Parts: sequence; C-alpha cells; structure tokens
Amino acid sequence: MTKQILLALGLLLFASPAAHAAMRVDIYGPGQNIVNLALAAPIRSPQSEATAMGRDLQQLVEQNLSFLPFMRLTNPKSVLGGTVLMGYEPPNLDFKRFQLAGSDILVTTFWPDGDSGTKSVHLRAFETNTGVRLFGREYLKVSARDLPEVADRFCADLLEALTGNGAFFRSTLAFIKKTGKLSANVWLVKPTGRDLRQITNMQGEALSPAWSPDGRFVVFSHIDTKSHALGVWDSSSKKVQRIRFPGNVVIGPAFMPDNKVAVALSNGKYPVIFLLNHVFQKERVLEQSDSINVSPTFDSTGTKMAFTSSRMGGPQIFLKDLNSGVVVRVSKNGTYNTESNLSHDGTLVVYSRMTDYGHRIFVQDMVTGMERQVTFGPGSDEQPSFCADSYFIAFASTRGGGGGIYLTTRHGGDAKQVPTGGGPSSFPRWSVPSK
Amino acid sequence: MKRLALILALVMGIGAGFGCAKKTGEPGYVDELTPEMRAAIQQITDGRVYFAFDKFDVKPEYKDMLRGKADLMKRYSTIRVRIEGNCDERGTQEYNLALGERRARAAYEYLVTLGVNPGQLEMLSYGKENPVVQGSGESAWSKNRRDDFRVVAH
Repeated sequence: MTKQILLALGLLLFASPAAHAAMRVDIYGPGQNIVNLALAAPIRSPQSEATAMGRDLQQLVEQNLSFLPFMRLTNPKSVLGGTVLMGYEPPNLDFKRFQLAGSDILVTTFWPDGDSGTKSVHLRAFETNTGVRLFGREYLKVSARDLPEVADRFCADLLEALTGNGAFFRSTLAFIKKTGKLSANVWLVKPTGRDLRQITNMQGEALSPAWSPDGRFVVFSHIDTKSHALGVWDSSSKKVQRIRFPGNVVIGPAFMPDNKVAVALSNGKYPVIFLLNHVFQKERVLEQSDSINVSPTFDSTGTKMAFTSSRMGGPQIFLKDLNSGVVVRVSKNGTYNTESNLSHDGTLVVYSRMTDYGHRIFVQDMVTGMERQVTFGPGSDEQPSFCADSYFIAFASTRGGGGGIYLTTRHGGDAKQVPTGGGPSSFPRWSVPSK
Repeated sequence: MKRLALILALVMGIGAGFGCAKKTGEPGYVDELTPEMRAAIQQITDGRVYFAFDKFDVKPEYKDMLRGKADLMKRYSTIRVRIEGNCDERGTQEYNLALGERRARAAYEYLVTLGVNPGQLEMLSYGKENPVVQGSGESAWSKNRRDDFRVVAH
C-alpha cells in the first residue's frame, strides 16, 4: 500500500524552465564526462542533521551512485564548513563551499517532519555553478522499509535528468544461479544488488533467461535428463510452465518488442531461429541456413536481430534486417564470437570472443564500424547484455573465482560486481523498465 | 486367405506384446534381462564417440564401434537409446547446446544409415553442462567432447 502511495504521490516539485536548460552529461560520446556530486547532510530543520532514516537513505543513495562510473562523490571532509546546511534550497544553500570542493552537483535532503516513523522527504539536485535546480521530488509516507525504493527512484530521476535515461535504477536483472551439475534456477536482483530473490525451483538446469518487454514474463531454456524445454515464469501467477517442442533443442529465447518470443529450435539438421506466437507455438522462421543459428536478440523496434551463426565455419555474430532480410557479418576478428546482444537503440552489438586467456567482451559500433574491447579478465567474461539505456552492460565472469555478475559500460572501464549472494551466477539479462 | 491374415495378425500381436519395450526405472519394473541382452546393453552404453574442438563429424576410428552398436540395436529391436551430445568447457553455453545436438545427430545419422530404426533412437544435448571430467587442459577437454549412449528402454 505504501509503495502504491509512493508511486502515486511522487511529485515533481517546482518544475521550471530553468531546469530544462540545466547541465547534461554525455555518457554516450567518446569523451565521457566525469561529474562530481556532493551529498549535503540530510536535515530535519536548519543545521539539524537527520540521523535516523535520513542517514540510512543517504547511505543507500551513496551506494547507488557508486555504480555510475561517470560520477565521483565528493568527500564530505573536503567541504570547508561541512555539509550540514541552513536549508535545502536557495537562498539557504551555500553553493560556494561545494564549488571549492570541486562539486558540480549538490543534492539536498529535507525531512520536514523528522525522520523517524513514517514521514515525507524532499530530495533536490542543483548545479553548484549556477544554482539551477535540476529537479526535485517529494516522497510521501516513507517508512524504513521504503528507503531502498526511494533511493532507486531518486537515483533513476537524477540519472535521467543528467543523461536522458534512468533505466539503470529502474531495471531488474534476471540471472541464473547454479547449485550443482545440471541444477540451476532463475533469480532476480536489482543491478545494485537489492531485492535478490529466486523465482523458479525446478529439477534440471535453467539457462538464458529473458524478460518480456512488459515485465510480466521471464522465459528461459530448461534442460533435464530427458529433454530441452522452454520455461516460462509468469510474474502475475508466480507459476512456471515447461513447454516442449518437437525436436531436441530449445536454445536462447528472447522477446521481441511485441511480446513474442524468438528461440532456436530443432528443424532437421541444424537449429533454426523461430518466432513463436503469443501462446508459444511456432509462427514462422526468422533465420535458418545449413549451419548453427542461435541466440537471437533484438533492438527496441524489433526490426534488427543479432544472432550467432556457424555459416562461415566457426561461430560468428551476424545482424539481420528483418524488413529486408539482409544479413551482415558483425564480428570480423577472432575465430569464435558468440552470445551477441543488440543495444536497444540498435547501434551497438556486444558479444564475447574466445581468446587464449578466456572469453572477453567486445562492442561493435554498427555506425562507425569500430570494435572496442570492454573487458580484460582475468578469468572468462561471457554473456554480455545491454541495459535499456544502451550504456550499461552486465556480464558473467569467473574473475572472482566461482562466477559472478559484473557491470561495465559501452566504453569499458572498471567492472563492478553485482552482489548476488552465494553460488555461481551467470546469464544476466535486463528488464525493460517502463518509466 | 482371410483366415490366414487373421492368424498372422494374432501371432504378430502376441509377439509385439512380448517384445514390448520396458522403460528402465518404471515403477514395478522387474529386471528380466537375459545375459545376452545385458551384454548388448553394456556394449551399447560402454563405447563413447569423441570429437575435435568445435567439430561434429564422426572420426573414422569410431565407425567400427558404431557399427557394433548398430548390429546390436538391429538384433534387439526393443532397445531404445538416447544419444547425448556433450562439449568441453571452452565454448559458450548456448552455442555448445547447438554443437552438442549436432554431435548427437552425427552419431544418430550414422546409425540410421547402418539400418537402425530411427524409432529406437532419441537425442539430447547437454552442451557443456554435463562434463565427465572436471578440470581444464586438453586431457580433460578431449574426454568431455563426446557422445554418450544411454539405453532408456529395452
């Protein structure tokens, strides 16, 4: 109930024309900005720090923002005069002390009725140079258990205000956790490691989960000691179906934007990529040749499909225009490229390449034709997947030993691990959040 | 003539009843294997076919072994075999599921060309999910790139 109230009553405060002219952070171009952000101490009244829920929310926001590689948090100790302020908006904000500490953005948090029990909280973000408000929100009836959701919603809005896309904090990753030989189930987790939960509990091994665009279903391949099948988890009923098909394989399902599933199924000698209808029956062939064709993924329009094919010998990545039927080769280097994932904007294809040191993740820019290596091990980096923002990439890696899920970006850089509890985790796949 | 056909049909029906395939592991299943049948099952399941990396063609050195399996399956037509295709750990999971299927299919097709009834055969790919040897290095990898033959009914 509280969640619904939060969702319903999250209010945009003081939307002003000035906010539209505020700073933007280009995270997509080659010269990615670094943004320095300061968090003012949460307050209940002028110069009175909020030390209960206020402190907890501050920590959650800090944890969230640490996942943004283009954001550097200002050390509170470097702010002369401290971070406990007279107010939460101009003219009671002393921007100068934050400018001196090198901060580009200041976030203020105000708990007008105190921060114990169930209370409202105001969160606002300002440019320190101009004092322009980037945005502000009030979250009503917030209790301690709502704090993670408030942190995620605020960070999503902040990210959207800065970059134009807040999908990262609105997404949930589906992934696979293995518990033994031929024993693995599907789990969910926020990319920040929160809301970890298991959604299937089946004998056999689940692989390759994929979200439906409406967020209702997660489909996956399922192997037991007798057959392959398509697993379908319905978030409405919390139930799982296991759907068999004629033939021997069900590999790498993926949803199209119209909520239909594409999946590689047996059809004679080689697996063929089929489109299924809304009741998971074969509708038509999307791609086939006298070779292996597997692992389809789509852009947000559903007109482009990246997939893996052995049509030129070893496995390579190809892109098919589903309108014209034209297929072009994407991966041009290496002898073993697999597990492609197409960005939602259709401009980038990410995939894993077998090297002498294990698999590594590469991004092919379909506009410039340039390929960029974005992971460097150690161990093996596999199963890359683009967030709906076409910026963040989740992948599985054995760099930590047993296998975990990590985040990087289209530009590469230091990878950050997603906490998924114990046990080897793999196959991260992003949900497609609706705003 | 009609009477002859009826007698023939009855005899065939009774024969088929006695020869009806029994699934191993079925509740109430009683092991009634003759020593010959037991030996045949042993021979069918014992020999594995191994493959080169990212390949699924049956090497010549395994063809005699498959011929032996085919002869037994033709002799014991109630035997039903699942061919399980497997890969080593180096490739990626989805592609290896497809490659494992191709490996199972390669043996399947060879057995069928030798006269085995396709109805006696089924296929399953485990990709890299069911290694027989743990560890890295070619000695482990070469043992994991394989077809297993499992008798699922007889």
